[in-house]
Amino acid sequence: MPAKSRFTRLDAFTKTVEDARIRTTSGGIVTIVSLIVVLFLAWGEWADYRRIVIHPQLIVDKGRGERMEIHLNITFPRVPCELLTLDVMDVSGEQQHGVQHGVRMVRLRPQSEGGGEIDSKALALHAAEDAATHLDPSYCGPCYGATPPHNAQKAGCCNTCDEVREAYAQTSWAFGTGVGVEQCEREHYAERLDEQRHEGCRIEGGLRVNKVIGNFHIAPGRSFSNGNMHVHDLKNYWETPIPGGHSFTHTIHHLRFGPQLPDDLHKKLGSKALPWTSHHLNPLDDTHQETDDPNFNYMYFVKIVPTSYFPLGWEGKHSQENHGAGLGQFGQSVDGSVETHQYSVTSHKRSLAGGDDAAEGHQERLHSKGGIPGVFFSYDISPMKVINREERAKTFLGFIAGLCAAVGGTLTVAAAVDRGLFEGATRLKKMRSKDL
Amino acid sequence: MMNGYEEKHGHLDDDAFGPKSGGIVSAFDAFPKAKPQYVERTSGGGKWTVAMIIISLLLFWSELSRWWRGTETHTFAVEKGVSHSMDINLDIVVKMKCADLHINVQDAAGDRILAGTKLTRDPTNWAQWVDAKEMHKLGRDAQGRVITGEGYTTIGEEGFGEEHIHDIVALGRKKARWGKTPRLWGKEADSCRIFGSLSLNKVQGDFHITARGHGYMEFGEHLDHNAFNFSHIISELSFGPFLPSLVNPLDRTVNAAPNHFHKFQYFMSVVPTAYSVGDPGKMGSASIFTNQYAVTEQSQEINDRIIPGIFFKYDIEPILLNIVESRDSFFVFLIKVINVLSGALVAGHWGFRLSDWVSEVMGRRRRSGQSQGMLGGHSSHGGSNGKGYTD
Repeated sequence: MPAKSRFTRLDAFTKTVEDARIRTTSGGIVTIVSLIVVLFLAWGEWADYRRIVIHPQLIVDKGRGERMEIHLNITFPRVPCELLTLDVMDVSGEQQHGVQHGVRMVRLRPQSEGGGEIDSKALALHAAEDAATHLDPSYCGPCYGATPPHNAQKAGCCNTCDEVREAYAQTSWAFGTGVGVEQCEREHYAERLDEQRHEGCRIEGGLRVNKVIGNFHIAPGRSFSNGNMHVHDLKNYWETPIPGGHSFTHTIHHLRFGPQLPDDLHKKLGSKALPWTSHHLNPLDDTHQETDDPNFNYMYFVKIVPTSYFPLGWEGKHSQENHGAGLGQFGQSVDGSVETHQYSVTSHKRSLAGGDDAAEGHQERLHSKGGIPGVFFSYDISPMKVINREERAKTFLGFIAGLCAAVGGTLTVAAAVDRGLFEGATRLKKMRSKDL
Repeated sequence: MMNGYEEKHGHLDDDAFGPKSGGIVSAFDAFPKAKPQYVERTSGGGKWTVAMIIISLLLFWSELSRWWRGTETHTFAVEKGVSHSMDINLDIVVKMKCADLHINVQDAAGDRILAGTKLTRDPTNWAQWVDAKEMHKLGRDAQGRVITGEGYTTIGEEGFGEEHIHDIVALGRKKARWGKTPRLWGKEADSCRIFGSLSLNKVQGDFHITARGHGYMEFGEHLDHNAFNFSHIISELSFGPFLPSLVNPLDRTVNAAPNHFHKFQYFMSVVPTAYSVGDPGKMGSASIFTNQYAVTEQSQEINDRIIPGIFFKYDIEPILLNIVESRDSFFVFLIKVINVLSGALVAGHWGFRLSDWVSEVMGRRRRSGQSQGMLGGHSSHGGSNGKGYTD
């Protein structure tokens, strides 16, 4: 017998001398069952350890001077591209009229012909044949009393129909179809416009705006700002030869602020994705609004919540925002993290004539009168930012601890069960032998 | 002594029940069971067993109660879908005649909602709503609750955020109705009770109660300035579905106007809130969707160029609060209980051995003290160990 130390008495793992041990059938069964249970639980622990969960956090958005991208894809089946203007305005005073950079306007066939695409041209470019230049190089077209546009081809002149329109817009005059304007008649502006009258238009693309309260709208006619006033030249929209006129029936295929979050995110959120939350779904996608009234105004009140997404293994290094990033790449970094925005939206529609909302069953609701027909998005930025961080459900140590707990617990319980069975059987035997 | 008898039978048992030479299953038995003749029961061990049973029961009970209570998780999300409208439920008594009041909503969408046509206005007497001293507290019943005549019971005063979620959900399912205005019984109708639910556009807005002829010039003739008294009692003011059992910050408050030209402004931030019991979407879960709000009140005396009245300016927060009370599945609970109990069992076993060892050491100390430093103390170690067992 080896020399016993003081700690021998502390031995938690006492061994029964082999001679004193009994092996029983019931004990064997309990062992096998408990082994199966242990394996099952260990597998569960492993699965839990491997599981990636999304851990949402709410913080105050500490970014400064950030910009965000609006990605939109909206179809207007009853307004031609020539008449549509996209304007962005925000509280910082920045205004983008007739946004063309990054946004494409796709001409669509009339609805009666199926509404397919006609051709697409980036609005930033003007086809060469459109710019009907005058033959005489010294020609200086009149601007008909309007201030010549500063970006005219020839300073102080309006050589093309576009320049005349621009000049009119800058002077806040309505332009109409250009009857009596020599440049436009030469370019057949009115005829070309009338040809397009039956067409629809799809606006797609992205634009970059300041991350402040603002609004963007798609409304007919060239827009211009005069002091505090923002005016659209609606003459061509209202004076239309087509029956029924134009209307702002529209389908929003897509509207998001910033890059799209990974598709599998929703899956990973698992049970945390609750039925009334739009985790990474854009609520306005594939919504359709229809009207026959040309003077109809749609408003969308959008509340934007900045959202970050950090994948597993994200280092947390502060990535400087790259303002030079091309449209579409904004907010996505190489390490897989995504800076984007979610939004909640309330829609509202009214006729420009005012009146009550009896059609919707709210007679007490009086709409305001006037305004511009069109689709307006007014957005507001939430000060709170949601951070979705991918994490392992458990650390490795946690996994080991869980494993030990599962194994130990099961074995102890199994031992107790076995002990109970053994004692019970022994008693039973004893009683039976007594009866004998 | 019974031992001898038992030992004999123990041998008999071995033949019938013990290791059979060909038992494959029994070969797996990993739990060493000493033959009964080698097992010894001590009174110390018995005490430990009883103690451990009590501790295990306590642990089991605490685990059970914790499981039964469930856990409350607060999450947040951005609201889904395109919303259009939101209800406001209010029950306000204003110390002016009904005919002199105009109730309107103006919101960021540019709509004006003629709330007066949708809400019920009942003439009533101010004294029926406040106690004799016109205290800032309403008449309360024995439990300190306000008697507002509403046909519902109120839960605790803390506001519904602190209550148990299942209580809130259960209360939210009750059918709600507006209380009746108390009969006048010949008293003068000097006040107006305005109550009901009204659908608003779910955008920032301003709900206001103003005097006839002031503010909106198109309706009603000018009202005498001496008739102005915008003292008011708010019995209920909530957004979303009408759930009177949920207490909102402005419920049951009194605000008295010291003079005729007084403007009360309430700035409220509405936070959509969903309460659920059980994970939503699963079987047996119940949830209610409502709105909470934070409010700041501001009231001031004004000159007669500013419109007096009661103004509720509300804005809707984009982030939705989600409060879920959930309970682990029974299986998970079972595993937890087994873990805890087996842990206690092992710890008890250890504790017993430790105490045994300590008493052993102490016993030897005492003995060696008596024998005045006998050198054989160490050599008798093994022997005394043996003795410890035979106690």
